[in-house]
Amino acid sequence: MSVVDIPIGPQHPAIKEPLNITCYVDGEHVVGAKLRIGYNHRGIEKAGEYQTYIQNLYIAERICGICGIVHAFCLTQATEDIIGKEIPKRADYIRTIGLELNRIHSHLLWLGVAAHEIGFDTLFMYVWRDREMVMDVIEDFTGNRVTYALMTIGGVRRDIPQEKAERILKVMDLLDEKVRKYKKMCLDERTIRMRCDGVGILRKEDAIALCAVGPTARASGVPFDVRADDPHAAYDEIPFRVVTYDTCDVTARLLVRIDETLESISIVREAIKRMPSGPVRIRVPRVVPTGEGVGRTEAPRGEVIHYVRANGTERPFRWKVRAPTLANLLSIPVMLTSRGDYVVNIADVPITFASIDPCLSCTDRAIRFIDVSSGKSWVWTFSQIKRMYWRD
Amino acid sequence: MIQDLIDLLRIIVFPGFLFFAVLGLFFEWIDRKFYAKLQNRVGPLYAGPWGLFQPFADFVKLMAKEDIVPEGADRPLFSSIPVFALALSLFAVLFLPVCGAQGVLSFEGDLIVVTVILTFFVILVFLAGFSSASRYPGVGAERSVLQLLGYEIPLVASVLGAAAVTIQTEGSLQIKSIVETQSSWWSILGIQALGFAIFLLAAQAELERVPFDIPEAETEIVAGWLTEYSGKKLALIRLAKDIELAFLCGLGATLFLGGPQPILPGFVGALSSTIIFVIKSIIVLLILTIIRAAMSRLRIDQMVNFAWKYLVPISILQLLLAVMVPRLIVI
Repeated sequence: MSVVDIPIGPQHPAIKEPLNITCYVDGEHVVGAKLRIGYNHRGIEKAGEYQTYIQNLYIAERICGICGIVHAFCLTQATEDIIGKEIPKRADYIRTIGLELNRIHSHLLWLGVAAHEIGFDTLFMYVWRDREMVMDVIEDFTGNRVTYALMTIGGVRRDIPQEKAERILKVMDLLDEKVRKYKKMCLDERTIRMRCDGVGILRKEDAIALCAVGPTARASGVPFDVRADDPHAAYDEIPFRVVTYDTCDVTARLLVRIDETLESISIVREAIKRMPSGPVRIRVPRVVPTGEGVGRTEAPRGEVIHYVRANGTERPFRWKVRAPTLANLLSIPVMLTSRGDYVVNIADVPITFASIDPCLSCTDRAIRFIDVSSGKSWVWTFSQIKRMYWRD
Repeated sequence: MIQDLIDLLRIIVFPGFLFFAVLGLFFEWIDRKFYAKLQNRVGPLYAGPWGLFQPFADFVKLMAKEDIVPEGADRPLFSSIPVFALALSLFAVLFLPVCGAQGVLSFEGDLIVVTVILTFFVILVFLAGFSSASRYPGVGAERSVLQLLGYEIPLVASVLGAAAVTIQTEGSLQIKSIVETQSSWWSILGIQALGFAIFLLAAQAELERVPFDIPEAETEIVAGWLTEYSGKKLALIRLAKDIELAFLCGLGATLFLGGPQPILPGFVGALSSTIIFVIKSIIVLLILTIIRAAMSRLRIDQMVNFAWKYLVPISILQLLLAVMVPRLIVI
């Protein structure tokens, strides 16, 4: 049988965001895969150059609907890097709690999506039901379910008073129990193991060579975690374990995420216990001095980097975001290519792709235009686009 | 004349087409509602009391939707598949003994006809996939045939196992005689328990439900062989699938749970045979729904592997047992 190409996406039930994977299929086996991203360019970085730093925080939060806190945190980190002022300790702890709650919610969301990809809708429904608890807790102390507006330059906007801290702890206890149950379920349920074991293999050397980050890398045995390698916020004061597995398959990524959720729960508990008293923010000038700043943290999906260049005005001169999915996407064609004993079936494509927890709204920042028929590519400057498409 | 009219009514209204169309939609509702309950959801809620009319509302809505035929499709074949599917499932239900020990159609060897019909469904699925001239339906059709290779032998073996007694005592392969032999003792209450389990798994595969929903795996190949169908055609196919669901549940109840025989062996209840039949079918349906909720989808190679390594040997074993054991007891 000849090789057939099966396009998955940009619109496909398995993929919630626009992306195209062209799978080259021989019977049921995938012999190659090609990725195309760039369907979702939103011009966020450019928009950032027209807003003040404070306004940018709210744009940054909208880079990703799931890990909003992470992007806002990274931008404040980069900006504070330029300003060079210490923020209050209590703010660091609240930021840590926010980041970890965000991670719990994101990992539970992923677990549900993964269950749906392998056709286990019951697990999907249960996990998403329990995810609501952490959503409620986030809403309780930030005021919002999704775009939190928690971070600000020089600290956080909302404190966590005692009674809210207690509510968080109560939910953490409940979640701890539930997540352990789901871990047992994922380890014991035969059909889950049949679909995940030995699927989507990314060997350790491939993971390093392709710059995989986050749970994808840690599931291939690369103990890389920005929280531990380059401690920020309160991560240097709270002990936690960097979870790694070495089976390099989807099961490993599943277990890394579940174990990380448990770790996050313990980090939140510890942070609430150790949280010092004091102010939660300092006043910083609106105008940021000339300089460059970098913010990096471990998002649920891997390392996020924000780079800001300031030119002594109240607006950034350049703002660059590198989302973890961009780093992980490179591993996808490797995972999806059958070689030797390793066979990829069409049925494995969705779960393999989902196993890196893709977030394309974070990722897509295409700037090159490609004529698919001729292969010619070019870059349009802003003034060219303006000349062609703007009518005033 | 009057007899002809009654026969016509038996075919079209009760217990034939109309009854089973309603029963099929009702079964879909039970399936969805119970599935939702298992998943801690509410399920259909708004159309009718407890969302009872939701499947019917879906049907009506789909009938009104735009009907698109893909450009490259084999138009006559593509358009006729839904009609064939509905006709086939409506034909199949005529063999079920809904009231009394025999169905509307009953003749010597009708059990064989029923098993042949089950295979015909897959042939229709295959033709539907290939006439769509599209990639996802093509893959779906290929998978459905591969899956058939896995579950067909166990299905036929379990059906024959249920008929083992009647074959030996009366030399009959008629559903009616299978039902009659169960008047005192349901066949599930013996070695046939194994046959019933095999039948449930095979039925799940025939109905393309989790863990064997491989031919229409949503997250993999969109809707598999159904992808290109829309509007009226999709409505008819869905109705046909609902009736097929009711048919397989009914067949399971008939072969293993004594069909329209009284609820408890020997106990003459006040309930009419139709209600007993429906209740027993619902029991089978609920088991099928639990299977659907408790597992994730298998891969096609795993399914065929599982079928040939375990299901086929076990089904042959149970067929042998079904043939041997009564004989041993008689001796």
